[in-house]
Amino acid sequence: MFYRENGQFKTTYQSDQQIFAIPQDRWAILAIVVFAFIGVPLLVDVYLLRAILIPFLILSLAALGVNILVGYCGQITLGAGASMAVGAYAAYNFLIRVSGMPALAAILLGGLVAAAAGIVFGAPSLRVRGLYLAVATLAAQFFWDWAFLRVKWFTNDSSSGSVSVADINLMGWTISTPTDKYLFCLGILVAFSLAAKNLVRGSIGRQWMAIRDMDVAATVIGIRPMYAKLSAFAVSSFYLGVAGALWGFIHLGSWEPAAFSIDRSFQLLFMVIIGGMGAISGSFFGAAFIVILPIFLNQLLPWIGTWFGLDISVALVEHVQLMVFGGLIVFFLIVEPHGIARLWSTGREKLRLWPFPH
Amino acid sequence: MGFFIETLLGGLMSGMLYSLVALGFVLIYKASGVFNFAQGAMVLFAALSMARFSEWIPEWLGMDNLFMANLLAIVVSVVVMFAVAWLIERLVLRHLVNQEGATLLMATLGIGYFLDGIGQTVFGNDIYKIDVGMPKEPVMMLESVFDGGILINKEDFVAAFIAAMLVLALTIFFQKTSTGRALRAVADDHQAAQSIGIPLGRIWVIVWCVAGITALVAGIIWGSKLGAQFSLSTVALRALPVVILGGLTSVPGAIIGGLIIGVGEKLSEVFLGPYVGGGIEIWFAYMLALVFLLVRPQGLFGEKIIDRV
Amino acid sequence: MSDWTYPQRITFHDAIATMEVDFSGLTFADEAAVDAFYDHVGMRLTETGRRWFFLVIYTDCVITPAAWRRFAERGKVTNVNHSLGSVRVDATAHTREAIRESAGRESFRANIHNTRDQALLALGEMRKRQQGTHGTKEETFLRAENVSLRFGGVKAITDVSFEVKRGEISSIIGPNGAGKSSMLNVINGVYHPQEGTITFLGDVRHQMRPHEAASHGIARTFQNIALFKGMSVLDNIMTGRNLKMKANMLQQAFWLGPAQREELEHRLKVEEIIDFLEIQHIRKTPVGRLPYGLQKRVDLARALAMEPQLLLLDEPMAGMNVEEKQDMCRFILDLNDQFGTTVLLIEHDMGVVMDLSDFVVVLDHGEKIAEGTADEVRADPVVISAYLGASH
Repeated sequence: MFYRENGQFKTTYQSDQQIFAIPQDRWAILAIVVFAFIGVPLLVDVYLLRAILIPFLILSLAALGVNILVGYCGQITLGAGASMAVGAYAAYNFLIRVSGMPALAAILLGGLVAAAAGIVFGAPSLRVRGLYLAVATLAAQFFWDWAFLRVKWFTNDSSSGSVSVADINLMGWTISTPTDKYLFCLGILVAFSLAAKNLVRGSIGRQWMAIRDMDVAATVIGIRPMYAKLSAFAVSSFYLGVAGALWGFIHLGSWEPAAFSIDRSFQLLFMVIIGGMGAISGSFFGAAFIVILPIFLNQLLPWIGTWFGLDISVALVEHVQLMVFGGLIVFFLIVEPHGIARLWSTGREKLRLWPFPH
Repeated sequence: MGFFIETLLGGLMSGMLYSLVALGFVLIYKASGVFNFAQGAMVLFAALSMARFSEWIPEWLGMDNLFMANLLAIVVSVVVMFAVAWLIERLVLRHLVNQEGATLLMATLGIGYFLDGIGQTVFGNDIYKIDVGMPKEPVMMLESVFDGGILINKEDFVAAFIAAMLVLALTIFFQKTSTGRALRAVADDHQAAQSIGIPLGRIWVIVWCVAGITALVAGIIWGSKLGAQFSLSTVALRALPVVILGGLTSVPGAIIGGLIIGVGEKLSEVFLGPYVGGGIEIWFAYMLALVFLLVRPQGLFGEKIIDRV
Repeated sequence: MSDWTYPQRITFHDAIATMEVDFSGLTFADEAAVDAFYDHVGMRLTETGRRWFFLVIYTDCVITPAAWRRFAERGKVTNVNHSLGSVRVDATAHTREAIRESAGRESFRANIHNTRDQALLALGEMRKRQQGTHGTKEETFLRAENVSLRFGGVKAITDVSFEVKRGEISSIIGPNGAGKSSMLNVINGVYHPQEGTITFLGDVRHQMRPHEAASHGIARTFQNIALFKGMSVLDNIMTGRNLKMKANMLQQAFWLGPAQREELEHRLKVEEIIDFLEIQHIRKTPVGRLPYGLQKRVDLARALAMEPQLLLLDEPMAGMNVEEKQDMCRFILDLNDQFGTTVLLIEHDMGVVMDLSDFVVVLDHGEKIAEGTADEVRADPVVISAYLGASH
């Protein structure tokens, strides 16, 4: 009733092509963004910011990257963690080795280095696909795992194997409190999300989707698979690299290569599968889900345990978490392969018709 | 020289262990076209089952004959793996018939996680012992040929022998029996196989069962060596390059591939490792696989992958 | 308008050697009316003593069935005696059908356009072609020479040669497995022949990649509709514009001026094609949800979006009912007329082939067994025994 588009006629192609074509959507998104920037820091306590919101923002950025590669271009990757690692370590090296390097520049440069590495390790996608491509990306993952652990130059010869970064400085604004960190990450996420949306609705996005859906037909139309696939790897790795740098600089402060291990790669892939492949919003849904689930289970299971008088150990919660993850992956792949994003958009469709059934 | 031979033999042995896991991959892929990322989790699950049941059965039945306990534990574990296979087919695979490979791959990832979780929930997450009477002491051999002799691990030797027997049995199964033929038909084309009356569901249960038994054998052998513990499930990741090298559809390929990877890993670690900081075993194997992917994706013995227009 | 006399409706444009005839608002009710007009025109034309291009405007012109046959007869004679070529403007669908039907395909190009400006442009093209300044008179449009294609031991195509002329609609026919689709794939660069060459626009090639073929102006549709199932109709057709889009990624990411302008510009072109193929109502629908016939139309739209010189159609009528086939025929004829696109199609429905084609090549077991106009091929005994069934 209130969500109908009655009376909204688009008179130019320009208005038809807008990201949020329906005014209700535009107002809603604006409200969410304003609330995110202003309301949340005022209302939410620091623990929530640190434990949930900041990881959510950074992992959303990473999930965006993975979604571009897996969801939009159809190239499977198990090496997303490695891209994050490259971004983090590259940014770290730029920051400490180049005097006077502003932190934001270091982060972006880290992303660019990750993009370059992504193109190199994405080259096998020109020859193989599916499982074989997955193995090739695993090669990248294990290689970088080893490199950041054993090649001392990357960690500036740190004896402990871990590196750390002090509070970063953005043109005079020292980002030290959780609120600062939250706002910084939010700003970057909003900018990058907008860019991603523009890319996927433009010509390059269509090329990616064409390669995903039927790459033989795509070449017949004149799309060059090499350009499309490698650009997907590049953009995806850029996003992942920036996310990795943010993860290290902002969220962790000090990190080891294990922060970007294969478990991270799986986690990102799961985010995209559950959240929705091929949908920008899917990245956010997936990240939120994966971030919140462990915390939710941590609260829920002991509480259920008290009903039965059982003592739920931390280890058990972890095991149940694995079961829930695995089960949900299978569930979504069977029931709704397009993830939460599809459920959401189906819900909105119904809302547009409400209160009528069809 | 003696050291080189030792390293070589050590590599061959560990290669055989990888082959055991790789066999599971090959079997399921050969028969259903699905790459089972959950194979490692199955190895873990089987190993845990074996370890715990070999503890629990004596407790429950009050027996102290180790041999009987192990035998019963094996029987129970086979039944357990059968149940796992049946459930996987029923709850997951049946609903994903004719989906593309990527979807099935991710589904098996999910199954793997689930198995990891439930295995540890049911069986516990300590390191458990598996004692099936594998010889533990290493033995010195060929003292006359090489100075000081070569140290050979009897356990690995026995494991290699068992693996070879398993491969032989499986090859015969696939080539000579009608079920084996049906399995190959299914791997080629689900829909076509269905349309000539091959009962897809039953075939898949059989395949996952066989894979489960392979996982059990691998689990017992690895578990006997390392103890049944969580890190077993990551063994699958070590075995992936093996199937790339050997060919995803070739049972002998799994063995040859395993040997090559095993030797390659050991040799590279010993002779290249010191120059680059060590620890290169894992990614060396993957780099080898990467080279194959670019040059000969079907591996040494696999069938050529044809892209239909 | 309708009370103008015939002399007032006829204008001679010397500079472009064109006689413009304005039929707007006229009604030809009977044979007498037709004769009256043609007598006058014939006299005027003979006076000039030369040949002219004809530009005929049919807006709101009604020709009754009673008058039609006379109209077509007299028209044919006039064309043969005085015409260099004709373009028509704004004929209703009914008139178009009638024009085509009565005139027969081989000697007659309908050349019907929506506006006078478009018609004048086409006229210009026609003049240039005839004067040879386009440079294409001698240039081969498409020629296959001694093409042989093998898959392992299986010979798909053996030593096939033929030529397709610019602006014509040609067909390849033959029983199943004759190598028709393979031939198309060879022209398009998807398969690489072991022997033989393909000459396109004067360039001789042994083989090329599909996206090279695309960038040189060859587009195709597929037998099993290779549409991008995850995208809407509009997006699918927009991918066809990909070769023409130049904005780089950075510009696209920030939706800067050039990227946005380009997107809108191409959207305009795509909408023209959508209008042409009458699929406006489904432009936002994901293609996976469309019925088969509409999917085929979207496939065609996507190929047209490339503005190709040569359009390869692989069984465009397969699986369609009679109405859908008629629609598709109409579209193919229109696109050949309006856009000047050369068409090479594979088709099993002989009625369609006869109606559409200027030129037919017959393949059987990978070899060419006949070629010629539709009538010639239909009467050829070799073709009949191989494909059409022996006549008794």
